[in-house]
Amino acid sequence: MSDDHAAGHSTGDAAVTEADAIEYPVAVERPHEPAEDYSLTELLAVTAAKEIADGELAFIGVGMSLISGVLAKHTHAPDCQLVTESGYVGACPPGVVQSISDTVLGVDALVATNQLQIFTDNQRGLFDVGIIGAGQIDRYGNTNSTVVTGDDGTYERPKVRLPGAGGSTDIMTSCGRSIVMMRQQRRAFTTELDYRTAPGHLDGGDARDDAGFPGDGPAAVITDMAVFRFDDDGEMVLSATHPGVDVDEVREAVQWDLQVSDDVATTSVPTRGEIATLRTIDPTDTVLRGSDYVYEVGFDEWSERVMEHWKTLQDQ
Amino acid sequence: MSQADDEARDRARTARAPTGTATGPRSRRDKTTDLETAVAAYVTDGASIAFGGMGGRDPEAAAREIVRQEVSGLAVLDDARTTLFDIMVGAGCVDEYVGSWVGTSLISQGFNVRRAVEDGIPHHLAMRDVSNFGASLLFLAGAMDVPFVPTRSMVGTDVPTHNPDIEVIEDPLGSGDDLALVPAAQPDVAVIHVQRADPMGNAQIWGNVVNDHLKARAADQVVVTCEEVVPTETIRQHPEVTRIPGYAVDAVVEVPFGSHPWHCYGYYYADLPFYREYGQQSRDREDFLAWADEWILPHDEYLENIGADRLATLEEMEAQLNDVPPVVGGTADQRDDGDRGAAREGGR
Repeated sequence: MSDDHAAGHSTGDAAVTEADAIEYPVAVERPHEPAEDYSLTELLAVTAAKEIADGELAFIGVGMSLISGVLAKHTHAPDCQLVTESGYVGACPPGVVQSISDTVLGVDALVATNQLQIFTDNQRGLFDVGIIGAGQIDRYGNTNSTVVTGDDGTYERPKVRLPGAGGSTDIMTSCGRSIVMMRQQRRAFTTELDYRTAPGHLDGGDARDDAGFPGDGPAAVITDMAVFRFDDDGEMVLSATHPGVDVDEVREAVQWDLQVSDDVATTSVPTRGEIATLRTIDPTDTVLRGSDYVYEVGFDEWSERVMEHWKTLQDQ
Repeated sequence: MSQADDEARDRARTARAPTGTATGPRSRRDKTTDLETAVAAYVTDGASIAFGGMGGRDPEAAAREIVRQEVSGLAVLDDARTTLFDIMVGAGCVDEYVGSWVGTSLISQGFNVRRAVEDGIPHHLAMRDVSNFGASLLFLAGAMDVPFVPTRSMVGTDVPTHNPDIEVIEDPLGSGDDLALVPAAQPDVAVIHVQRADPMGNAQIWGNVVNDHLKARAADQVVVTCEEVVPTETIRQHPEVTRIPGYAVDAVVEVPFGSHPWHCYGYYYADLPFYREYGQQSRDREDFLAWADEWILPHDEYLENIGADRLATLEEMEAQLNDVPPVVGGTADQRDDGDRGAAREGGR
């Protein structure tokens, strides 16, 4: 299966070697064979899910990172414990998580507590891996999810007001390691952040150690084109490209002179089982295709489909 | 500290002084009222305010009532906020936000928030960002009534650069570590939606708590809205889930489906198609105003327009996920038979 996880990154490797043993919760023919039909977003979700190893405490936020966490839980990492900033730990959500207090996070949860407690535990270094999203990133993995100021904007009156820090600042400061998921765009992979929302490897070298941060910072960046890791100086290195994407395309989508691994791998194609599971988790394309499907089908069909798909995963 | 801060502190001391007395504003009395009265009394123009929940158990009905009463000049001191905040911003109720995240969850960015911050429509919204941990600590410091609490969060970021209320210092005890000091937030009022409360305001929360237990202590005045007002005897059966004690509460309002279109753990699931439609309609200013005309209504009319069948389906969905212990005694025994929707219709 995958060789996109460079040697030395043990995170996904356990899952890779045990891939053939995964029991998917959804009945599908030839589940361990490559899927013929998948979207880039689905590939991104599957690739990120593999960053969570079985048994780990995985701190995840809304959107793509949560669907990756839920997928990991239902596939290769059944003993991982999902942690959310709203206060849930250890749930087995039977479907897509629409918001950070989504009650699917209550299903089979081990802990239902408060946000202060979750972030206190995080700062204490109790969580293994965190997944965040971002609007901009620099070569050291520092991220911006607060404002895009553009040429003549300011923090007060930016060109684009983004949602804000959420849990990203705290995950990047304190989680054992952090995974960043984002769209690959030249304007987003920038030499100069408009605002540093979350600390990556700061200015590189020993900067994080000097700052006294509990966590090791970003370990991977996963985009719709590629997977990046970080070298010993904390600088981003292209590690793998997705099927059909070549290295030069990725270089073009980064503002700085990108470091490229000597043996750039190709991200493995998701299996039929992974894609089927993902679509069962998100039957109305809430996250996966970002479509207006829910809007189009109307309330009755949406509710019926969601309950039916929950049941499939609840019966496991 | 500004004069406004001094005045706020004076108000807080005045409001709190009689709390423990037999006849004080937070004494063991019946605090039940209706939503219109509670908002008119506690959410005044220019107030600082915090809301409970976070993309689940949000006090959406209370926020719609704030919009309906055309309250203005609010400073929202908060954590992550979704539709409730975006609607209030679009309606022109909010001048300032201190918090960690604004959007409308998966459906979209908060279009009203963006218009206000980027283009000053309907007027400029001043933002003071903190991290999520920072948001919790605003209310921890407020609840402890200390000027600040320290954290490692936000060190090495631009948060303190643009938020002058956050100061980074070197540990005065000598570790050499930098620490960010998060100042206390003591909003004039907190509005928090819970599953049940008794008439005195002992409020029980099932599922996650977010920052609600802290906001209730930090705020000068607290309005609890709840799915059900229950007898005190019912509260006594599960004291471990009383997250907000009656001595922190000023008003109690029964607001069934008070979090719609969001979830309320153990009661109903989120109405995703409804809030996705909000995401669509808030994309454009004129469409948002049309949305507001249609949906900013007294809560009973709002629920009628949503429709009883749809609400019953949301209850059925949540029943497939989570449950809370049925109410025993009082007026809601019927919940024992498992037909929650019918029981609550009957109770109204």
